[in-house]
Amino acid sequence: MLNLHKQRWLAVLMVFVLVGITACSSGNKGGNEASSSKPPSEASGSKLVEESAAPAEHVNLTFMYWGSNDEKKAMEKMIDSFNESHPNITVKGEHVPGDYNTKMNTLMAANQLPDVAYLGDALTNKWGSEGKLLDFSQYYGDYPELQNKLKASYLYTEPGKAVANFTALEVMVLYYNKEIFEEAGVPLPPSDPTKAWNWDEFVTVAKQLTKDKNGKHPGEEGFQEKSIDQYGFSFGSDRGTYGPLLESNGAGILDESGTKYALNSPESVEVFQKLQDLIYTHHVSPDLIQQQNMPDNHVRLQTRKVAMVLDGTWALLDLTNNKKLKWGIGVLPKLKEPKTVILAGTTVVFNSTKHPKEALEFYLYHNNPEQVDLYKTGLWMPTEDKYYSEEEAIKSWTDNEAHPAEFRQAGIDYTKGYAVKSPSTAIKNWPEINSKLAPGLDLIWTNKKSAQEALDELESQIQPLVQGVYPNE
Amino acid sequence: MERKWGILLALPAMIGLVMFTVVPVIASFFFSITDWRIGNEMTVIGFDNYKTILTNDPTFTKSLYVTTYYSLFSVPICLAIAFMIAFLLNQKVRGLSVFRTIFYLPTIVPSIASTMLWLWLFNPDFGLLNSILESLGLPESRWIYDEATAIPSIVLMSTWSVGNTVIIFLAGLQAVPAHLYEAVEVDGGSAWRKFYHITIPSMTPTIFFNLVMMIIGSFQAFNQAYVMTQGGPNNSTLFYVYYLFRTAFTETKIGYASALAWILFVIVMTLTFIIFQTSKKWVHYEGSNK
Repeated sequence: MLNLHKQRWLAVLMVFVLVGITACSSGNKGGNEASSSKPPSEASGSKLVEESAAPAEHVNLTFMYWGSNDEKKAMEKMIDSFNESHPNITVKGEHVPGDYNTKMNTLMAANQLPDVAYLGDALTNKWGSEGKLLDFSQYYGDYPELQNKLKASYLYTEPGKAVANFTALEVMVLYYNKEIFEEAGVPLPPSDPTKAWNWDEFVTVAKQLTKDKNGKHPGEEGFQEKSIDQYGFSFGSDRGTYGPLLESNGAGILDESGTKYALNSPESVEVFQKLQDLIYTHHVSPDLIQQQNMPDNHVRLQTRKVAMVLDGTWALLDLTNNKKLKWGIGVLPKLKEPKTVILAGTTVVFNSTKHPKEALEFYLYHNNPEQVDLYKTGLWMPTEDKYYSEEEAIKSWTDNEAHPAEFRQAGIDYTKGYAVKSPSTAIKNWPEINSKLAPGLDLIWTNKKSAQEALDELESQIQPLVQGVYPNE
Repeated sequence: MERKWGILLALPAMIGLVMFTVVPVIASFFFSITDWRIGNEMTVIGFDNYKTILTNDPTFTKSLYVTTYYSLFSVPICLAIAFMIAFLLNQKVRGLSVFRTIFYLPTIVPSIASTMLWLWLFNPDFGLLNSILESLGLPESRWIYDEATAIPSIVLMSTWSVGNTVIIFLAGLQAVPAHLYEAVEVDGGSAWRKFYHITIPSMTPTIFFNLVMMIIGSFQAFNQAYVMTQGGPNNSTLFYVYYLFRTAFTETKIGYASALAWILFVIVMTLTFIIFQTSKKWVHYEGSNK
C-alpha cells in the first residue's frame, strides 16, 4: 500500500511530467508554425499588411517536397543558390519523407499550407478545380517562360486554366540486362518507337529469356513453372503498367465522353488478359506476390532474376548507380500503336500565398535544368520544349552515362512523339475510383478471375464514382 | 488548503484531457454530421453520412467483416496464449527473470518495427516461415499475400506481442491467495484441481479485464494494414480503422470518416456493455457472495 508521503511525491512527479509534455508539444507547434507559411489569419493579418507596405520588403516562402536522398540534396543545393541570387527572397525547403498526401491533406485542413509544393496529380486536380491553386494563365504576361513547357506537361482544370506543371517529365519505358540478351543471342529490344515489338514478338522474346532451374524455357518439354530461375519480364500492378498498354490499344479507363466506365470494353479486357497470361499462361513473369517481394528493378536485372522490366525514366538514376549492371533502354511493346504515358508529380503554387510573384519566380527556378543536376543524373526529364528539340539543349542534359545512346530514341523521341498523359491523371475523383479499382484488379493479378469477369464486376462499383474528366488544354 | 492543492495538481491532467480528448471527440461528432471534405466548405447534412454508411457502403460492410473476423480469431487465441505464458512464468524455475524478459521483449519493440520484421518472416520466397514449412516437407503458404490466409497470418503475428497481457495475468496469478491452494492440498487435490477450481475462478476478474481491453484493441487494428498490406489483397485486410484513415486522408472525406469513427465507437461500446452484462455470471470477486 502506498503511504501518503509517497503519494504526494508521486503527484508532484506527475505534474512535472505533464508540464514537460505540454511544454514539448507546444514547442513543436511553434516550430511547425514557424516553418510553414501562415495563411493570412485574422490575428496576424494587420501586422502583415504593415510589413508589406514597407519599401524594402523581404519575402519568406516555404517549399515542400518529397523524394529520395539524392533528390533532397539536389533540392537543397537549388534552394541555396536561389536564396543567394535573390537577396530579397528567402525560401525555406521542407523535405517530407513518407506519406506525403496525408501530410498535405492535414496542412490543408489546418490551413497551414506552404507557398510552393510538390503535389500528386490527383490532389493537384482536386484542389485546382476547387480554386486552391494559382492559375498560371493569369501570369503568362509577366512570366512568359511559363508557356515554354511541353504541352503534355500542363494540368488544366478548366479549358485554358493551367493550375500546375509536372515537376519533371517521366515516361514508362522498358529496361533490360544487356548481358542476358547477348548470351541468349536474342536481338535487343528496339529503341526506335516506330519499330516497337508487337505483343507476340515480345512474348516470344520473353519466353526465350525465361529459364527454369534446368535451363528450360516455357513451352519446352519438362519446363517446371514452379521453379523458374530467371523471368523474361516483370511489371507492377498499377497504372504505370496498364496505362501505356491501354493507350496503345486505343482503350481507356473511361469512354471518349469521360462519363462512362469503359474498362470492360474489348480493347481494355484484351490488355488485362494479356498481362494475366504473361504470368499464368506463358509463365514469363513472376506473379504479383513474388513481384512485390522482389528487390528494386535495377537489382532484379543485375541479379538476373528478370531480363526486362517496365519502369519509369526516373529509374535511370538507380540503374546508373548500379555499376555491376550493364543495362539498356528500349520502348514498350505495342498492341496497336506505339504509346507510352507520362506519370509524374506536379509542382504547384497555392492560392493562399501572399507573394504569388515571388513564388512564381521560385517556381520557374526550381526545376530549371541549369540549376538542378537531377536531369543529368537521370532522375528527371525536363519539361521545357527546347530540351527535346534543340541539339545544344538536348546535349546539355543527356550527354552523360545516365543517358545511353539509345536514349535519343527510347527517351526523347518517345516522349516527344508518343507520350500522352496517363489516363488516370485526367480523371476526376481518381483517388476514390482507384480505391475500388485496385482491389478489383487484384482478382486478375492473382488469377482468381479472368479479366473479362473481374472488369465486368467492377462496373457497378466504379460507375457511380465517375464524375468526368479534366480538359486537356 | 489541501483541496486547493488537489485541484491545482490535477489541473494539468484535466486540461490535457479536455484539450486532447473531450474537444476532439465533440468536434468529430460535429464533423460527422457535415459533408466536410478537406479543402471544401462544410455544410451540415444531418445523419446522411450515417445513412450512407449503414445502407449503401459495401466497403464499410467488408471492413467490418474483416475486423470482426480478425477479432474473433485473435482475441481468444491471444488470451489463451497469454494466460499460458503467464502460468508458466509463475512457476518457480531457475532463470525465471530471463524467461520473463524474453516473453516481454517483443512488446518493447515498436509496433512498426515488429511489423516490418514480420513482413520478412512472411516473405513467400525467402521468408523464415516458408523455409520452416519447406524443411518440414509441408506446402508453402502465401501468408499475408493471399486472400484466404491474410487474416490468419496477422492473427499469428498478434500472438507475438502479448507481453502486456502476460504481465497483467502474472500479477493476477500472484494475487491468488495461497491459503486456497493449501486447502486443496490438505484435501489431497491434484494439480489439475488446483488449476481448475482455484486458479481459474480467482483469475476471472483479470481475464475479464484483458478480454475487454483486447476486444477494444483488436477493433482498432491498423498498423498491420498500413505497413504490410495496404488493405489488400482484394480488401481482405481492410481493417475498419485503416478504412477510416484512408477515407479521411486519401479520399479527404473527413465528415464521412468521422461518422465511421462514431459507428466504431458505438460498436465497441455495445460489445463492452454486453461483456459487462455477462460478466455477472462468470466473474468472481473475492469476498463477494456470488
